[in-house]
Amino acid sequence: MPGDTAASRHLASCHLCLKLADASAHRCPRCGEALHQRKSGSLQRTLALLVTAVVLYIPANVLPIMITDQLGSAEPSTILGGVVLLIDMGSVPIAAVIFIASVMVPLGKLLALFYLCWSVSRGRPSNPRQRTVMYRATELIGKWSMVDVFVVSILVALVHLTGLLVILPGSAAVAFAGVVIVTILAAESFDPRVIWDQQEETDE
Amino acid sequence: MSSHSPQAVQVTTVAAARPCLVACPSCDLLYDVSELRHGQKAVCARCGDFLTRKLEDGFEKLQSYAIAGLVCLAIGCSFPFLSFKSSGLESVMTLPQMVTQLYQQGRADMALLVAGFIIVIPAVVLVLLLALSTCIIHRKYYSWMVPVTRLAFHLQSWSMVEVFFIGVLVSLVKIGHMATVVIGISFWGYGAFSLLFVFALASLDRLQYWNELDRLADINSAR
Repeated sequence: MPGDTAASRHLASCHLCLKLADASAHRCPRCGEALHQRKSGSLQRTLALLVTAVVLYIPANVLPIMITDQLGSAEPSTILGGVVLLIDMGSVPIAAVIFIASVMVPLGKLLALFYLCWSVSRGRPSNPRQRTVMYRATELIGKWSMVDVFVVSILVALVHLTGLLVILPGSAAVAFAGVVIVTILAAESFDPRVIWDQQEETDE
Repeated sequence: MSSHSPQAVQVTTVAAARPCLVACPSCDLLYDVSELRHGQKAVCARCGDFLTRKLEDGFEKLQSYAIAGLVCLAIGCSFPFLSFKSSGLESVMTLPQMVTQLYQQGRADMALLVAGFIIVIPAVVLVLLLALSTCIIHRKYYSWMVPVTRLAFHLQSWSMVEVFFIGVLVSLVKIGHMATVVIGISFWGYGAFSLLFVFALASLDRLQYWNELDRLADINSAR
């Protein structure tokens, strides 16, 4: 049997400075951050942000992420269109990087967080360690989906040979940046300690 | 570097003031990490999350990486980053120009996000960490150090320096076939900056940092 949890000793661990303080305090005595034994309204907040991300995900994929204007003929391309174009051009490794960062990572993150919320709300006690690792993975990979937004920014700034070749940013870039930011916030509001609280309840 | 799993402790009394106790951020289990030696890190035995890593020279490393990183960022912002040549025409890009170009295209939102994530936030974080580590190395304690540390910890999770650099590499391949792309001095400057930024954050340990700040505050109030 492992040792005690902070909660069982009526202590709360500060999320910013890791100080252990009496759980009745509202502010961390060391750094002054708001102190919660568990993140408040974690499930609702995470779900609300996930739904926002799903809504933003639609324009991010339907609208063009960048417009290539070559000799006056404008050609818009979406995220997936860009991946297909790269494969046609023969740069499969770069197509894979963009596909993983812009399609698999955000989708995987959304699915993983939905699954975690669902498993916690159902009070499912199995595999707590596996689910914690899954949560930490969503936290770690979050910002890597920004790669495509940065690529568009660089291309827009670099390629502006007026009349010959100009690359313009599309609306999907902002929507996609929104997806990334909102999913980072969603991961931040989820509290993995709830998984372990449920495990301890079933053990007793 | 050796890895060390600390013994989970059975806490018999509420000892909130003991600085050697830490709760696992992922599963809330309590650990006593006072036995850690230089270079050792503590990992939660139940969920595997990282707890803390003890580095005797962490603040000196942080200070050096911060200074070097800021110099490299200055280089990264002052010279041509990439240039693009096609049919006798040439366009040269510097990092600040990238932001103004997005703004001129009517994308003020993107300009703001990109400038914040890759230049402003990382630069502010390094300046704050440089000031804080310098004070700690010289055993000085000021009341502004606590709010400034909070700010630095909040900001650091929003820096996307290394993600941007991967984006640069992807762009190079993407347009390399269209025309001649020339790599400028700033490309190397920013590349070095992104490495140094990652090293600086790796030498900063949350728990060790705050415990050190506590110790300094105690010494200061005893005087």
